[in-house]
Amino acid sequence: MVRAFVLLAPGGPAPCRVLYARTFGTPPGAGPGGPRQRLRRKEQLLVVARQVASQCQLLQASLGRPSSPQLPQLPDEPVSLQDAPGGVFQMSPGDPFPERVTVVWLSVLALAFALVCEPQENLSLAEITLRRLAPRLLLSLRLLGPGADVLLRPDAADGLLDRLLPHGQMLFLNERFLQAMDRELGLKVSR
Amino acid sequence: AGPEAVDGLQRLHLSVAATKYPRKLDGKFVEQLQTVLCSPKSPEQIQVLCAAILREMSPCNDLVLSCDEIQDTKLLSLVSSVLLAQGSRGEVAAVGQRVVQGLERRLPEGQSARFLLPVLANVISLSPGSLTEEQTNVVSKKLADWLRYASIQQGMAQPSGGFFSSPRTKQPAPITEVDGAVATDFFTVLSVAQHYTQDQWLNVQAFSMLRNWLLCYGGPGTSCPEKLWLPHPWKSTPGRLLPPRERLRDKAFAYCQRLVEQSTRRPLKKEDGDLQKACLIEAVTIMDIICKQDSSYVCRAVSCLKILHSRICGDATYARALLPIAQLFLNHSKQAAVDSDAIYKHLFSDIPALLFHNPSLAFEFVQFCKDNSQLFTDSSSIFRQSFPNLFKFLAWNSPALISEFVDLLPFLLDPGTATEIFHLLLDLPCLTAALDIQLRAAALPVSEKAGADPAGKPATCLEAFHHPLYRSMFQYLLRSRAAPEDAPDSLVPLRQLLGSLAGSPRVVQCAETVPVLLELFFRVVAEFADGSLINQLVVLLLQRSDQLYDIPAFKEDVYRVLGSNLAMLCGLRPALVVELSTEILEFSGAVSNIQSKEAIFTHMAWAVGEFLSVSHDKRCTVEQITRFFETLEAVLFEITQLRPQASTPSCAPRAISVLMATLTKLAARSQDLIPRVSMFLSKMRTFVQSPAVTSVYCEEDLEEILIRATELMNLLKMPSVAQFVFTPPVASTRFQKEVNDSLPLALRMVTQLLEPAAGSMPV
Repeated sequence: MVRAFVLLAPGGPAPCRVLYARTFGTPPGAGPGGPRQRLRRKEQLLVVARQVASQCQLLQASLGRPSSPQLPQLPDEPVSLQDAPGGVFQMSPGDPFPERVTVVWLSVLALAFALVCEPQENLSLAEITLRRLAPRLLLSLRLLGPGADVLLRPDAADGLLDRLLPHGQMLFLNERFLQAMDRELGLKVSR
Repeated sequence: AGPEAVDGLQRLHLSVAATKYPRKLDGKFVEQLQTVLCSPKSPEQIQVLCAAILREMSPCNDLVLSCDEIQDTKLLSLVSSVLLAQGSRGEVAAVGQRVVQGLERRLPEGQSARFLLPVLANVISLSPGSLTEEQTNVVSKKLADWLRYASIQQGMAQPSGGFFSSPRTKQPAPITEVDGAVATDFFTVLSVAQHYTQDQWLNVQAFSMLRNWLLCYGGPGTSCPEKLWLPHPWKSTPGRLLPPRERLRDKAFAYCQRLVEQSTRRPLKKEDGDLQKACLIEAVTIMDIICKQDSSYVCRAVSCLKILHSRICGDATYARALLPIAQLFLNHSKQAAVDSDAIYKHLFSDIPALLFHNPSLAFEFVQFCKDNSQLFTDSSSIFRQSFPNLFKFLAWNSPALISEFVDLLPFLLDPGTATEIFHLLLDLPCLTAALDIQLRAAALPVSEKAGADPAGKPATCLEAFHHPLYRSMFQYLLRSRAAPEDAPDSLVPLRQLLGSLAGSPRVVQCAETVPVLLELFFRVVAEFADGSLINQLVVLLLQRSDQLYDIPAFKEDVYRVLGSNLAMLCGLRPALVVELSTEILEFSGAVSNIQSKEAIFTHMAWAVGEFLSVSHDKRCTVEQITRFFETLEAVLFEITQLRPQASTPSCAPRAISVLMATLTKLAARSQDLIPRVSMFLSKMRTFVQSPAVTSVYCEEDLEEILIRATELMNLLKMPSVAQFVFTPPVASTRFQKEVNDSLPLALRMVTQLLEPAAGSMPV
């Protein structure tokens, strides 16, 4: 299962920012209750985001790419995920989650998408899921245009996650199933 | 409820989410949010926003939400997402009960169980003990049905109405495989249709959660607090109705076998290829779990996978699937009496060399090694012998894999591999550079590969790759297996050649991981190394200090680690100072070393002072002490000249202090040397006041040097005290350790005793 999804702006010189984050359930008895639990959740996700940002910048550097890529000229230009850099790393127990987690991430232009997975999760499927979430989120949230749309449209992000990653469950969807799902969501994704 | 409501809720969500500190919302308002969420009249967007706000605020004291009354499955899923975010075992259990109830009964018209399965998956992931055995049986039964009996005909498109829709019902088409062939067996996630039916969606959902379900409830016993994997004694006979658990296992295994067959078909849509591979990995993993839960499946699994392996082992795009296959064999092949060595050999010898640059494979491969670390304890095994291949993953993907290698390295180290791994760690950035060249060389068109004139020197790294002068060095660096005897005499020419790549980001990132691994290396080796290995490592350490890849920051960090660990090794085995006196004298006598490798030099000098004494090794003679003394005295003399020439090396003040202290210690043991040291130390005042020197060193440092010189001089005025202070008995009790640590204090005390009137400032 996926524990959390994070959408962030890795920054470059600027510090990284979490633009949207969604956790899928809180393990019971895992720690303090009340507002401290919420605080802890937010901080855990921020730690994940920072680590993703750091890995992203290091990978960009090793690939010889500039760390702050330019946005495309037209907001509706289809974004190619072909060469989108991505990676996977592990976070040890206690740092920041009580148990070990594996983080799979993908970077598209000036943004990064990350899935925080339980250990032993199917990482191939996680990568596929990210590659499907990214363009759909970019489209629905108009992330490439100006403005802070993503912050103001959690319902659009939630709607997508509820279909492609319901309750953190990754789905083995072949292309036809995916098309059917896009139809249900009213999405026109370029193929 | 119009667009203003939506806008308002969106802004509210932002203001709650934007801060990590608690935002208090009025209790009545929170209640209203819940009411709106559950009301069937609310538009979906508003419901989603209410749920988002409630989740964002979790855990929530004012929650009165309950899923009991909700009939709409989509809404139930939404409300569950809020309830599961509370972190309460009771809430999780309640959701679990409600969902199982929903699956058990016939759902109202228009509702689909499709939205309930992910909720259930989340419930068992958060709190595995929430379901009773009866409930798990209910679900297992349904899962088995959905997996095996989904419709094998395509669904119908939603009727679009209009004038031209045909009144005659069309014959539904059969489902196809991803390669377009008509399917001849049951429906799976790799079945293709234009439109899908509800039960086909349930098939997808069921498979998607199958692995976790089996891990949790597939084994014997009731709901699992831990995941027990004991083989169930119950044997199935065909035709007889199996209990739900066993039946699900049976259907699940058949499903996985079908996926294995489907996953090597050539897909019409390229993207389906990725899914095929993910399905394959999942199928093999589930087979492994089933075999653990019922060993009667092992034979079937093994024979199926042997065939699969031979089909995919030559295809690099299927490489990631080789890992779960190998894992299954590791777990079960003994039972099936199958020889799986060929599989492991291919995995460890060929795959890393070919695919080190694939970051996902690299990560999973290293995980595999960590999960099976017991394999590495057998030093002759293929796993252990392949460590050079494993390091290629790290060399190429350093930032992502360094922490994994910190966990893995201890399992690779033993007396047989220590020295080879030592060299390998020091040359890790070279390996990165060499891998880069190997990749570029492989990408060249064949015509260019013919290469340059073998008689001449290669002009570029790329040309050098096949050049006879360098080929064997490249081959050694890029070897797949441990080969301590095949080491070429020197890799120096190769390191120099690769110098042009020393600035490349990937090489630099790799270089940054080396100090951490080196430090760990020494810590682990210290635990098992015998005298002979320690001596070997010290000699190699001194040798290699001259032969490092030329990245300045890298060299500085490595010197620092080598220096402190050199001192540690000498502490472990003080006798080595006598046994390796030739090498140590050679190193310590070279003035250039004090400048270029200050950290190592300083620790070496310190170790000589500490351990060159008859109390540490009976073979330590007066001649030896004198020889070391004269060597170090010459170095100290050279670096403390009053009028330093351009050629005089400048060096860290700490080195001067340590040299002075060492000479003093040696003199305390061979008292003929005392006058020489005293005279030297008395000249230090002139040294620190000389104008040429004050321009090079800062005031505090010079003061420190002078203070230290004075203290040492005073100590030598009382030779028997000096001897005691500098040569405590060898027994390593806590008391002795404390004596050593309090050396500076002792020095100060003695100084004060000798200069009571003058206070603490030297005259």
